[in-house]
Formats: sequence, C-alpha cells, structure tokens
Amino acid sequence: MYDLVIIGGGPAGVAAGVYAARKKIKTLLIAKEFGGQSLISADIQNWIGVKKLTGLELAQNLEEHLRAQGGIEILDSDLVARVEKISGGFLVITENKKTFETKTVLIASGSHHKKLGVPGEEKLNGKGVVYCSTCDAPLFGGKTVAVVGAGNAGLEAVRDLFPYANKIYLLVRSDKIKGDPITFESVKANSKVVILYQAEIKEILGDNFVTGVKYLDKSDNREKELKLDGVFVEIGSSPNSDLVKDLVNLDERGQIIVAHKTQMSSLPGIWAAGDVSDVLYKQNNISAGDAVKATLNIYDYLNKK
Amino acid sequence: MPEVIIYSTPTCVYCKMAKEFFKKNNVRYAEHNVAEDDAAREEMVNKSHQLGVPVIDINGEIHVGFNRSELEKALGLR
Repeated sequence: MYDLVIIGGGPAGVAAGVYAARKKIKTLLIAKEFGGQSLISADIQNWIGVKKLTGLELAQNLEEHLRAQGGIEILDSDLVARVEKISGGFLVITENKKTFETKTVLIASGSHHKKLGVPGEEKLNGKGVVYCSTCDAPLFGGKTVAVVGAGNAGLEAVRDLFPYANKIYLLVRSDKIKGDPITFESVKANSKVVILYQAEIKEILGDNFVTGVKYLDKSDNREKELKLDGVFVEIGSSPNSDLVKDLVNLDERGQIIVAHKTQMSSLPGIWAAGDVSDVLYKQNNISAGDAVKATLNIYDYLNKK
Repeated sequence: MPEVIIYSTPTCVYCKMAKEFFKKNNVRYAEHNVAEDDAAREEMVNKSHQLGVPVIDINGEIHVGFNRSELEKALGLR
C-alpha cells in the first residue's frame, strides 16, 4: 500500500511529487502527460523564476524536476478512471485497469476544455471544429472562421488567427466581452474581425467538414446562419472531478470543495489542488503552491495516524 | 526502417513532442508543414479525413494526434 497517490502531472501534481519525495512519503504519481493545460501555450511570461518559456519547456522542466527525485514512482501514459473507498484507505483504478491501494490521495487532475454541446459538434470535431487554436490556427489560411467565447481564451484564439484567416467572426453569447481590455483592443482594431453579440450557437453544420453554424440572434430572436470553414470553441473549462464525484463534495461547477488552509476535501484522506479544486484563481503558480500546502498537510496526517 | 511522415504546423506542441519522440528513438521521418504547403494539407486531409495536427503516417497507417504508447506499438519499439 502506498502512503500517497498523486493524480495529475501539471504544476500541482509535480509540485506535490517533489515535496512528497523530499519528505520520503511512499508515493506513486499517475499522469498521462506532464505540463497541464499550459502545455499548448506558445509563450508563458508569469511562471515565477523564469522570464519566458513555452508550454512545452514548462512541461519538460516539470517532468525533469520530478524525475530527478529519488524514491517516487511514476506511472505515465495512463489516466485514473476512479477512486474507491476501502478499509484503511483508497483504491485507485486506471483506465488501463491497473489498481493501486493507498492511504491518501491528492487529486491534481486539472480541468478540460468545455464543449458547446450542440448538434454537429462531436461529428465535426477535428473536421473544422477546433479546441486548440495555437495548434490548428495555421490550417485555416485564407478561410472564414468563427471563434466562440468572450473570455481571454476566445480573444487569444482570434489573435492566433490574425495571420491566417481571411475573416474571423467572434460570437459572444451575452453583450459583454469578459477578457482583458488590452487583448480586446487589438481584436477590435483588426479589420478581419466581425463581432456578433447575443449570438447563441444552436448547431454546427456540415457533412464531412464544417460548412457553417446556425445561431440564435437574441437581439431580434431570430435564427441565422453563417457560412464558415472552421469553428474555434473557447468557452472555458470544466474540472476533471468525475473520478471522485461519489466520494467528496463538489460545488455547483463540479469543482472539489477544499478547506483552503489544508486543501483537504470533505472526505479525510483525499486532498485536491489546482484547477480541479474550488480555488478562486486558476494559475500555474497557485496550483503549485496549493499542492505543496496539501502535501505538507498529508505528511502531518500520515504521521498522526 | 518504417517509412514515417509527419504533417505538422510550426505552432503545434504535440507535433514537437512527436518529433522529439522520433529523435529520441532514432526514427527517421519526413515532415510536411501544412500551414504553408497546401498540397500536403490536402494530402493530410485525404489520409486522415480530418484537419487536426499532427497526423503521423507510419507505413500507410494513419495516426491522428500524439499518443506515445500507440506510436511505440506501431513502430515496434516495445
């Protein structure tokens, strides 16, 4: 039986892994890949201690730092499917049907890209429906596309498309832009961009590839269509908390509710840190710090037992 | 040696990860930048019936995305 299983390879999981190894806690870390959601970032300028790096460099730094620790076991290329309560601890079950017994669990599984949930989206995923603008924007050279989402991710997707697309619609569900004013200024100033407010996507159209969208224009309550070659979906993220949803208390968004002094969840023995928790600000530095806090508390908990 | 072709864009991090994986395992590959090469883009779409990168062609077997264990298997690395 392990003392601790850490679930996740982002800043939270790796920070916990480093601290757990240094405390000589018998630990297994399970992660499909390293780096967390920033992996796809082209440029990170706020990771403290490094002026500027790419998401891939951050991921490689994290992985190297973790692997430099002696005494921690790492299972990569697998995902945790669920966690079950057993006597004296927990059973961690992976998608490849491996099982591990442990006294404590730290959930640092992060969050995933939210989908629109409209007809056509699943079918056309990868066929004009895009969830990674930095990856796929260059494929839309000379095309007409729409970006859905009024937060920073949406605005940045529009900017990723500037050098390539001919025309970029920004579809905003409300009548407000939620992203940073500085980013919005540059979006608004670009002549390729058309902003449609109060536009709610109803369906993504196309057989083999995206040909357009159907949306409700809430300003006059009429359904309209746009002819498009691509739809970039940037409407925020959703926590990866399904694996413990029957064990711990979640808030209305599905985030694991933690005691913010210790990061412990509603069930003693399970902690959470990073974007899967109900932390107010989703930031790499905060995720790492919260995971350190959790690991030190886990250390105390194991020693008191 | 298997014939390996990767269709990529310069900004795609999973393409970079795939190429680093090839280098680490001494796998020779040809690369097409589909952001600039329209003919290659079309070829990629015809092979994979989709538009996401990377697309990796190993002896005619098409892999969409970077999945380390899947590539290890396809390349006979384990």
